[in-house]
Amino acid sequence: MSPPAPPRPVRATPPQRPDRHGGADDRIKLPLDWEKLLAARLHAVKVRPYLADALFALHVVEDRAVPTMAVDAHWRCYVSPAFVARTPVEELAGIWVHEVSHLLRDHHGRSERYAREHEESGPGERLRRNIAADFEINDDIYGDGLPRPFGAVVPSLLRLPDGLLMEEYLRTASMSGLAAELAWLDCGSGADGHDRAWELGPDGANGLTRQQQDAVRFRVAEGIKGRPGHAPEGWRRWADEAFQPPQPWRQLLGAAVRSAAGAPGVGENHTYRRPSRRSSSVPGVVLPSLRRTPPRVCVVIDTSGSVSDAELGSALLEVAAISRAVGGRRDLVSVISCDAAAGVAVPLCRAESLELLGGGGTDLRSGFARALRSRPRPDVIVALTDGQTPWPSGQPPCRTVVGLFPRPARATDEDDPDYVPDTPPSWARVVIIG
Amino acid sequence: MTSSTLLPAFAPATSTSETDTNLALAGQLLSLLRTTATEPRPDEQLEALTLAVAADLPVLLWGEPGIGKTAALTQLATSLDLPLTTVIASVHEPSDFSGLPIVGDDPAVQGVPMAPPQWAVELVRAGRGLLFLDELSTATPAVQAALLRVVLERRVGTLQLPPGVRIVAAANPRASAADGWELSPPLANRFVHLNWVHDRDVVVRGLGGVWPRAELPRLAPERLSESVAFARHAVCGFLKARPTLIHRLPGSETRRGGAWPSPRSWEAALTLLAFGTAASVSRDVLALLVRGAVGDGPGLELLAHHDRMDLPDPESLLADPAAAELPERGDLRQAALEAVVAAVGARPERHRWEAGWAVLVRAMETGAPDLLVAPATALAGLRRDDWEVPEVVERLAGVVGLVRTADRSVERVAAAADARRATGARR
Repeated sequence: MSPPAPPRPVRATPPQRPDRHGGADDRIKLPLDWEKLLAARLHAVKVRPYLADALFALHVVEDRAVPTMAVDAHWRCYVSPAFVARTPVEELAGIWVHEVSHLLRDHHGRSERYAREHEESGPGERLRRNIAADFEINDDIYGDGLPRPFGAVVPSLLRLPDGLLMEEYLRTASMSGLAAELAWLDCGSGADGHDRAWELGPDGANGLTRQQQDAVRFRVAEGIKGRPGHAPEGWRRWADEAFQPPQPWRQLLGAAVRSAAGAPGVGENHTYRRPSRRSSSVPGVVLPSLRRTPPRVCVVIDTSGSVSDAELGSALLEVAAISRAVGGRRDLVSVISCDAAAGVAVPLCRAESLELLGGGGTDLRSGFARALRSRPRPDVIVALTDGQTPWPSGQPPCRTVVGLFPRPARATDEDDPDYVPDTPPSWARVVIIG
Repeated sequence: MTSSTLLPAFAPATSTSETDTNLALAGQLLSLLRTTATEPRPDEQLEALTLAVAADLPVLLWGEPGIGKTAALTQLATSLDLPLTTVIASVHEPSDFSGLPIVGDDPAVQGVPMAPPQWAVELVRAGRGLLFLDELSTATPAVQAALLRVVLERRVGTLQLPPGVRIVAAANPRASAADGWELSPPLANRFVHLNWVHDRDVVVRGLGGVWPRAELPRLAPERLSESVAFARHAVCGFLKARPTLIHRLPGSETRRGGAWPSPRSWEAALTLLAFGTAASVSRDVLALLVRGAVGDGPGLELLAHHDRMDLPDPESLLADPAAAELPERGDLRQAALEAVVAAVGARPERHRWEAGWAVLVRAMETGAPDLLVAPATALAGLRRDDWEVPEVVERLAGVVGLVRTADRSVERVAAAADARRATGARR
């Protein structure tokens, strides 16, 4: 399972704090200052109570080969006694949270997947992944009682924006400028998925199995979701997505339109209206035949001011592509632009220069009414909207798919600050776009 | 159906014997290529599949095309000694599963019998077998509806499949099935969903000539009744605490076509827990199965509940603090200590309170002291006015020192932040 241990990256000495007796510590065999290390963990638990389960689940291993602190994929935490001795408690607390974040955010699994997909291995690439993982963590865990440790790498070092994911940092930046200075940086296999010489490996004692790791992650995520007010935005987003990874909306929208268009009664299905081609060989047996009735798809587009042109363009292209794939001929796809009042249904085949009119407030009810009035009646209505609209009170007599552009939940009506738009009705299949 | 086409006669070969030797050589080469060895290798997904099949629950394997689902099924059939029948669902019509209506002379008198297809008749005749429904997600909705009956009632037309027949299905995930239909929630709810992935090392080693041979889990005869009691206790205890999870239709678009909790799938989870316990499989295999039956969220919650059930009983810890065996892992240890404090709080009596302190001292001596802070604070809060602090508490002095260090460090950070804000304001 585990490949032979990779060559250790060439590591210069970590940057020493200028004002402290740094270099001397490494030469003297210091015992690990457990009290300081655990007090730091306590500090971390005090300021980030929702991470307590994960912090306590780490098994601490004292190791002189580790440059600073590192974690492995089995939730062991390797600690250098010299590093603990020369680092203040409050910074150690930040490093505890940093290391446990690598594990909670599954950087080892994601990093391995990235390496496999891009066929990037070797010490330089590993370091690059470690830096990208650190960027993802360091831009949002510090502050609010947790100081950023000396020498922590942040995206602004490379003039990159905050708040991206590890994979996005890896894609956008080469990080070659940093690699030489940061060759000492090493958060262990927990950060980049590659085993290190000092690690105990999967058979060592006190590791967590995958199921146990999932259980800890799950408890932390539930804790954050249970008291969302206490956790910052980045952690809340993580908790929401930890066990329900966001799915590509294109595929979801495609599946929704496809299954709406293909549900019994519409689209391709079996029928007894026409004899089956197999019938001639088996006389006396009644066989159904496969018959395709291309679905008519009517796209109602919310053209009110709150939906951006880019959003509309991408979603409309997608619907057209999908409905073609379903078998809807281009002339069976029509588009209605709708703000407070609905426009006319324009068939997509004539819509090379499709104009989406509108810009005011929204009332999708008129769009639905217009779609249902058109003859022949559509089999599927796809509504693309940001959801800040009244919805029809009853279920329309055809399948409905709502592509929803996400908006932060806040009051939109200035006259009535308590106004909250209705959520899409339960009879529609809702796909969050973007 | 007999084929009416005949193979065209071969063009006259230069010499019959030469063709023969060429073919024989090709045959030799092929047989050399097909000679592979096997080696024992633990395989979680195969263990999970075997257990679910043994438990007579329909299994649905999700996997990219060409990933080795059929090969795994072949191995499973060999090891369970069951004949394998493969039916590709997407090339069939609904009547192939619900029975083909055959019109006789007088349908009003005789009725129209629903004739089963040949594979079903053969399965019934054999009395046992592994029915593999491939390409489930690309079958049309009408075929899927007809399959509901096969999977749930084990009926094909008028034929009832015998109890010795086990059902496994396979489907391609939505992302890779470009023109697939998705599984309807009722059909999805009947299956145990397993994600089938390939292991790079296994593939490389297998192509090199050595395929893995999984050690299949065996049920221990002496643990059967114990496992049933345990599984019932675990699932019922959990659902009593979380009744909203008993039935929850998949709400979001991402969850469609996958596992979701309902009384039916909880029954499947209970069965799988019992089988897993009787076969002593690892927690990871159990997790695969339970999450495959009721979905990720509810499955994980059940397993977390299961972990808590393994914690030592707080009352027995209080009864004999000196011999208390606390879990090694920090978060579980803290949970156990919190349970002790909660037990004391539920029935606050002086001797129980003192025993609680003794348990904390025991924890202090056997593990990391920072875990004790929260339980110790809670226990101190339970003190009544006439209770004196027991002497053993002095041994917790280390914890107090730790708290003080941590508090000072938190204060330093707060002070530094204030100072920075002050300079920022002045600017």
